[in-house]
Amino acid sequence: MAEPQIFNRHNRTLAAYAIGFAVFLYVPILFIPLFSLNSGLYQRFPMDGITLGWYAQLFTRGPVFDALQNSLQVGLSVALLSTVLAVPAAKALSRAVLPGKRPITGFVMLPLVVPGLVFGVALLVVISRLGVPLSLYTVALGHVVVCLPFAISILLPRFEGANRSLEEASADLGENGWWTFWRVTFPNILPGVVASLLLTFTVSFDEFIMAFFLSGTDATLPMYIWTQLRFPQSFPSLLALSSLILVASFALVFLSLWFARMGRTDTSLVSR
Amino acid sequence: MGSADEQHLGTDQGRILIHPLAPPLDQEQAITLSSSNSLGTLPAPTASGRFLHRHETLRGYLLLSPTLIVLALAILIPFGLLFTMSFWSMSGYDMVRTPTLGNYAAILEQPMYGALLSRSLMVAAIATGVTVILSYPVAYYVAFHVYRHKMLWIILLTLPFWTSYLLRIFAWRVVLGYEGALNSSLMGLGLIEAPLQAFLYSKTAVTIALAHAWAAFAILPIYVSLEKIDKSYLEAAADLGDTPARRFWRITLPLSLPGVVSAFFLMFIPTVGDYVTPAMLGGPDGMMIGNLIQAQFGPINNWPMGAALSLVMLMAVAVAGAVFLLLTRLVRR
Amino acid sequence: MDVQDQIGAMKEGKLSRRAFNRSLFALGITTVMVPLPARRAMAAAEDQATYFTWGGFDIPDYFVEYQAKHGEVPNFAAFGGTEEALVKLRSGFVADVVHPCLSGVPRWVDSGLFQPIDTSRLSNWPDVIPELYNVDFNMKDGKPWLAPFDWGQTSITYRTDLFEVKGEESWDMLWDPRYAGKLGLLSSGGDAWWCGAIKAGVPLSQIDSEEAFQKISAAMREQRPLIRTYTDDTTTLNQAIAAGELVAAMTWNSSAVELKAQGVPVKFAQPKEGALTWVCGVMLHKDAPHLDRAYDVIDSLISVPSGVFNIGSYGYGHSNRKAFDGFDDATLKGLGLSKNPVEILQAGHFQTPQTAEWEARMNSTWEQIKAGF
Repeated sequence: MAEPQIFNRHNRTLAAYAIGFAVFLYVPILFIPLFSLNSGLYQRFPMDGITLGWYAQLFTRGPVFDALQNSLQVGLSVALLSTVLAVPAAKALSRAVLPGKRPITGFVMLPLVVPGLVFGVALLVVISRLGVPLSLYTVALGHVVVCLPFAISILLPRFEGANRSLEEASADLGENGWWTFWRVTFPNILPGVVASLLLTFTVSFDEFIMAFFLSGTDATLPMYIWTQLRFPQSFPSLLALSSLILVASFALVFLSLWFARMGRTDTSLVSR
Repeated sequence: MGSADEQHLGTDQGRILIHPLAPPLDQEQAITLSSSNSLGTLPAPTASGRFLHRHETLRGYLLLSPTLIVLALAILIPFGLLFTMSFWSMSGYDMVRTPTLGNYAAILEQPMYGALLSRSLMVAAIATGVTVILSYPVAYYVAFHVYRHKMLWIILLTLPFWTSYLLRIFAWRVVLGYEGALNSSLMGLGLIEAPLQAFLYSKTAVTIALAHAWAAFAILPIYVSLEKIDKSYLEAAADLGDTPARRFWRITLPLSLPGVVSAFFLMFIPTVGDYVTPAMLGGPDGMMIGNLIQAQFGPINNWPMGAALSLVMLMAVAVAGAVFLLLTRLVRR
Repeated sequence: MDVQDQIGAMKEGKLSRRAFNRSLFALGITTVMVPLPARRAMAAAEDQATYFTWGGFDIPDYFVEYQAKHGEVPNFAAFGGTEEALVKLRSGFVADVVHPCLSGVPRWVDSGLFQPIDTSRLSNWPDVIPELYNVDFNMKDGKPWLAPFDWGQTSITYRTDLFEVKGEESWDMLWDPRYAGKLGLLSSGGDAWWCGAIKAGVPLSQIDSEEAFQKISAAMREQRPLIRTYTDDTTTLNQAIAAGELVAAMTWNSSAVELKAQGVPVKFAQPKEGALTWVCGVMLHKDAPHLDRAYDVIDSLISVPSGVFNIGSYGYGHSNRKAFDGFDDATLKGLGLSKNPVEILQAGHFQTPQTAEWEARMNSTWEQIKAGF
């Protein structure tokens, strides 16, 4: 597709602004890995010296790894559960002629626009009324609710864009619905599924407010970091841990967003 | 809600749905229907067509039901209970379940609640406004001036959003702190003699941190709405002799307004209720309503009051949102 | 709001064979990577007792004995304040051993969630200083509800180079307008309100009177404009003191110890009105799922090695009198401690138990004052 002439001019001012904006987004975050290498206990300039000692110390701390495992477990279950729930929901929302589809979509997206604090508190109230002990399960429940809108938002465009004629052809050729789904629809939406898994995992992994209200003995990693903030001696090793998490979640999100956008050609980008 | 839904509905209505999960029973009908569709005519509303239609609807609800059940359980019941609880009161460690308006009366009577609520709305509105305004040119740049690396740009701009919430707040402490990056560089440049205390522990610090934390959420919707704009409109306007500025005011901006509105809501709503950012960066004067709600469920241990405050906050957010929506409608006209 | 569109912000294209493989590969990596560590630790964690404690006390250094016996440390769960912990326990959370403070014991006992401790099962109990636990409200049929473990003071840590003390050290230091904007305070009412009472001249035995509320509120309101930040997070306080951002702050013993270890010139003040003295310890849950190991947790906490760690690294007092033997008098004095803790307990202001109503009123008044009302 030929680009309209009016946009071909390279806009240097705008480009510089966009780059500056990106720098502003990244600079504060980069202080975390920077200070994880600082040999002093306190994060201040000028730095005291360079050390990898905090990373080494990290590996001697048992609770860190417990928390990490808890977060991985919760994250994995949340990712699977919310994606499994989101696939049929996105399918229905994208295809079926559904009376009341707009209010339903609105309802499903509600967790995105209710302050996490109110949500966490409301869930805590119910859970404690029911006498259900707080545990990683309650955290996972909270996270599924938060993650569902994300998963559906990612899957919906996949279903909408899926080439329907292939499914029709498959049905024409006598495949039953189940096989058509696995052999035609599923490969088609797979990038969306992978993206949804990775993204919901990341959301759950970093989620703090729900975990704050809903966790029991087993702290998730953000909860652990929160309780350790009061404890100056362990703080630099938390920075080391955070730097590692930072790298890992950047990698995961990069992968997931890459998948989500994979296969898009330039024309499809421009014409919508 | 937005325009995309309408589009979906619009396309769906003209479509004959052949469901991949359809039982074999439907196949014969499906074939006839799809062939009639390929001729570009809508099928006559035959009995079987109506059946299929109803069937489709049913199946749609069936597919949606697990999600809806989970969400209904996790949204309606908690909020119902929160609502009920907001009329209870506390006696020592026990909740008294006799309904009373006492919590709401206290919220109205004591100036603290109103003041914290309006401060929260202000801080969130300023942070959101600033972010949306600053993000718009970036979204515009990516939508209209980037061709080859669009995806890379979008990923780069959204990545920071996925880093840990607590750590992003902490990072701002390192930047704004007394011996932080900002003070150090200002002193290094010789602009100030001693570190300034003004940066950290203020409403400004909270606003900056919130703006930074949610920037990615603001860029995406704006970008999408800009990307959707049919560029032939702009070409046509150019052909008719419109200047770039005029084209922007008359076409680009109005058409991207839904994205701007979405960005506003997606960021404004969660930030009103934030309590960790004000707790860590706000200092005594940066406290927000979220801190008070958290305290009701924590040290003060007055859950009914906390429930009432949460609902009042939610109402305030809804009212603020409605006002904003109304204003944008007026502007659009 | 077409949310679904925005976050995705993507449109469909065709899936190439290579792309398909790539996604399978990534899916494989995530599924393979994740369950491994998750599986590893499960077995060990399940048969250890759970210790629900302040963030910072959930470390192996207190469990030398326990580890020697069981090979592992207990499971930890951490809280940021005792009220937060009690709320969580009341909503059904079960931990074997919990770490509240002595002044909270009556209210904690009232919750019906705890059982008295059978001290005959604790090998280190004979060395525990009786004055730390032998008070009426803490004893039931000769068994304590709370086994004391750490004790200390809430006082003022100040920069000796930046804060000029006029006359004697006093709580007035935190009300000194010369240092407006350079003073910090612990944000929990459990510390701040009581110190406010000392400053306002309210005897702690009368802290529940109406007059006390008026006086303390007035003192705290007067102080608020001078305060840079209220926080319970010690890292923030220490960092700000180290930077000179704060010149004096209400802290526990540990802040002064840690700052000195970092070479920051600070002193833990002994205010002329007296510092606030507190005793904390551990309580046993009535439904403790690992009762035997719970006793081992308690025994380990009151052992000499954990006492030495507590005094040396954190600067808190310990309940085992033998733990003080390795420290000289000057060191202990600098920490506001003594080999004969009874002196300190009698000289200082000791936190006394209050009713739930009082706690609720105090906390909500205190939140209002912090918010500026």
